[in-house]
Amino acid sequence: MRAFLDKFKFHGLFIKMFMVTFISIISVSLLTSIFMIQMSERLFMNTFSITNSKIINQIQANFESFNYSVVTASNNVMQNGAIKGFLTKPEMDTVSSLASYYQASQQMERIQSNVAAYPVTMTISGVNKKFHSTDSYYWPSSLEKLRNSILTVNTLIQPKKLIYQLDTENIPGSSHDDPVIVASRALMERTSGNQYGVLYFAIKESDFKGFYSSFTSKGNDVVILDSKGVVVSSNRHDLIGQEEQELLSYAKEIEEQKLNFKDVNVLGSSSLVLSEYLPVYDFYLVNLINKQEVLKGIVDFKMIALISIAIVFVALIIVFLISRRLTKSLTMLARQMSGITTNHFDNYIEVSGSYEIKELGRAYNYMLDELNDYIKKLIQTQKDQRNAELSALQMQINPHFLYNTLASIKILVQQGNKEKAAATINSLISLLQNTVSNISETISVAQELVNLKNYVFINHVRYGEQIVVNYFVADDCYGYHIPKLIIQPFIENAFFHAFQERNDGHIYVLISREEQALVCEVVDNGVGMEGYDHENPAHSSISTSHFFSGIGIRNVHDRIALLYGEEFGVSIVSDIGQGTRVKIRLPLHKT
Amino acid sequence: MKKLLAVALASFVLLTACSSKENNAPNNGEAPAAGTKEITVWAWDKAFNIGAMERASEAYKAKNADLKVNIVENAQADIIQKLNAGLNAGTTKSLPTIVLIEDYRAQSFLQAYPDAFFALNDFITPSDFADYKIGPTSFDGKQYGVPFDSGVAGLYVRSDYLEEAGFKVDDLQDIDWKKLIEIGKEVKAKTGKSLLTQDPNDLGLIRMMIQSAGSWYLKEDGTTPNLAGNAALKEAFETYKELMNADIVKVTSDWSQFVGAFNSGEVASVPTGNWITASVKAEASQSGKWAVVPFPKLGGNPNSVHASNLGGSSWYVMNVDGKEAAAEFLKATFGSDVDLYQKLVTEIGAIGTLKAAAAGDAYKQADEFFGGQNVIQDFAKWTEQIPSVNYGMHTYAIEDILVVEMQNYMGGKDIDKVLSDAQSQAETQVK
Repeated sequence: MRAFLDKFKFHGLFIKMFMVTFISIISVSLLTSIFMIQMSERLFMNTFSITNSKIINQIQANFESFNYSVVTASNNVMQNGAIKGFLTKPEMDTVSSLASYYQASQQMERIQSNVAAYPVTMTISGVNKKFHSTDSYYWPSSLEKLRNSILTVNTLIQPKKLIYQLDTENIPGSSHDDPVIVASRALMERTSGNQYGVLYFAIKESDFKGFYSSFTSKGNDVVILDSKGVVVSSNRHDLIGQEEQELLSYAKEIEEQKLNFKDVNVLGSSSLVLSEYLPVYDFYLVNLINKQEVLKGIVDFKMIALISIAIVFVALIIVFLISRRLTKSLTMLARQMSGITTNHFDNYIEVSGSYEIKELGRAYNYMLDELNDYIKKLIQTQKDQRNAELSALQMQINPHFLYNTLASIKILVQQGNKEKAAATINSLISLLQNTVSNISETISVAQELVNLKNYVFINHVRYGEQIVVNYFVADDCYGYHIPKLIIQPFIENAFFHAFQERNDGHIYVLISREEQALVCEVVDNGVGMEGYDHENPAHSSISTSHFFSGIGIRNVHDRIALLYGEEFGVSIVSDIGQGTRVKIRLPLHKT
Repeated sequence: MKKLLAVALASFVLLTACSSKENNAPNNGEAPAAGTKEITVWAWDKAFNIGAMERASEAYKAKNADLKVNIVENAQADIIQKLNAGLNAGTTKSLPTIVLIEDYRAQSFLQAYPDAFFALNDFITPSDFADYKIGPTSFDGKQYGVPFDSGVAGLYVRSDYLEEAGFKVDDLQDIDWKKLIEIGKEVKAKTGKSLLTQDPNDLGLIRMMIQSAGSWYLKEDGTTPNLAGNAALKEAFETYKELMNADIVKVTSDWSQFVGAFNSGEVASVPTGNWITASVKAEASQSGKWAVVPFPKLGGNPNSVHASNLGGSSWYVMNVDGKEAAAEFLKATFGSDVDLYQKLVTEIGAIGTLKAAAAGDAYKQADEFFGGQNVIQDFAKWTEQIPSVNYGMHTYAIEDILVVEMQNYMGGKDIDKVLSDAQSQAETQVK
């Protein structure tokens, strides 16, 4: 989890960049598709409504030519004497009746040629209860019923008009699912106004449909409403005979306000309603365009969605690859940079990626170079300073020592002890030789031992030989190099401070190897040092006091630490009355 | 940009419109059946012919469930028109596998387009059917049609009116037209009811009369008009005029008035084909008041029998893909299935012309509507006696001429002159 989060951390930029592009692409494509679909829908619906209003005009023309034929035929019937005679003459014998029927049927057949273009049945019914139909297989089922039907009543109420009505009562047989549209007109004498019969033109609704059905399609319906709102004819069979007041009110509104179309929710679907009033029929020709149905075929939502998804997908892949490339070098840069730990400035980074990233990398590397240079110089300066200090320290002992030694030699000479004086001078010469020559150099443990012995010899000359110095050096340690005269000050210290209350004592010099360090110990059995804190040796007041002649242990310790590292230095253990143990840890150097 | 968008949109709309058009290829079920899995049948009259075909199709399922029978209802006039149009154009592409054709018209198709029909001699035996059906359904020695319903004629009479006028149903058995007119006069006088109805435009009565005497509008060859000097036709005309002059006929001018007249009890008899039974029985209140007697014969014609025919039709197989399957289908159903005929009689009142069918149980059922008379059996019996005539090619063309001439005759024109005028008109017209 942690690792995952870490990984995530380095990709933060990429993720942010990618997410922003991702969301943008998706929202742009989504908005564009929605907008396009809506626009095309609107455009299509507008075009559709224009086309359909033309179609409505065409349908209207069909209806008008049908009506014209019917009117012509009805006028012919009205003007026909033979038919009038047939319908008015009272009951007669078979022979004249036969002739009358024959003539009437001949006349009707002739007149029917006016409407021959349409599958229409003409029926006449007279005041003398005589009756003729050109094709009564289809309509009407019964004369009696027809005579008393609402059709006839309506016709007689408006005797001068040709009226169109939907008839479901007088259909013969069981075919009630195919109603008939009847145009009827009262037959009357022009001059007197006497009504002598009724003329009916019956056309099956399925044939009437033919005037418009070729213009309809699924979702593009035509509904013919009469003035009461009853559906007289429609390509949707289920609507025929239904009362659709809502639709009628829309049709009337369109008619009154001279609208092109109305966009409403009707018959359970969102539709465009176009309407035209057919005055001769007193019908409303209503065109219903079911938006959903019609658009289904026009706009393939699924296809558009698929195309958009494909485009978005491809775009995302491209965006992914490009932004990945862009951020990859940045991520690497960040990763490499974060690898720098404290005091570890040599973490150079690989220069790769785009121009900007390369420049950044180069600048960074250049900065590291500068930094490292600076640090090297700083360290060199510090080293030089310390060497100078240490040599100054080492030099410090010389004047005292030289004075004392020379004084002792003088005494020896005065005493006439020539040999001893000569030996002392030899030791001094050897010491001085070592001291005067390059102070910064290191010398082997063996040489240092010679120096120490010379020094101890001189001291023995001066102060007598009560204080015995013993050397214990591990055999493998002779070859290691240590700074010149680093042990001498501690022996000097032991000589002059550890045995103030008595004249005899022992000093041990122990040199041995301890793991990766060379340990030089100067141990005495003198008085010990005051102020030494067993609990916390580092903070003992000894370290800062001038207990040691001229030098501070602290200073020596700090310098060794500076030169060789924190794990090296000087440590002291001291017990009052027991003695002092000084321990110098130095690195193992062969040269 | 806007323009471009509009163009893109327009082409899109257009494309979609085109593709949708292609998808909506017309499928009106009239295409000839592919292979032998599907056949198409054209017929008219939903209750009668279509009903019979549906039952046949159902019965055939037991024998061959794979065959799909598409039954398409068309008006008879439409079928005639479509057949003529298709056959004239020399194509059978838009035509059905099986078509129903009225017997009067059959020859006009068979003679004009014999190659368009599939001869069924290998499938049915003509002698299994009523003899009079074979003439119209065959041509040149080949049997093309599977005879379907019998148009056997009878005289439906109101027994109650007859009794009221002092007659019994038995008095009308095996009589001639003169006798019937006498009875009609009596009935009219006693009950005020007319004897029968007549439509001046429909000479079905004349056709029934002359066929009962074995005569027709055309000679045996089926093409030469046989009007002038046709004794049977002359007597039929005279009888017709006599009927009219006796003032015992109610004139009607169409089908509904015809049906209305006997349903409302205005007439005492109906001389017509047996297919009217359903319409007669439609008026249930008249149950028991009807009887059917043999068709009256022409008294002056020695050939005249008490049996005739009006209408009736037969099934024909068109010479198109699937004809063998269609022929097999007809062979197994209308050609031999006696049980199917029982069903047709009981369920839709259709009397077939398969002789064997008359032996079935349904043909022996007494009918309470007709006072317990076994009308089906009677009709079946008369069917066998119908004189066979050749209806020829021009039945309706000649009838149109005769309708006019009949009016002239009624108006006082001499009968011989009437017939010779009709003859010459017919000769010019049918040539």
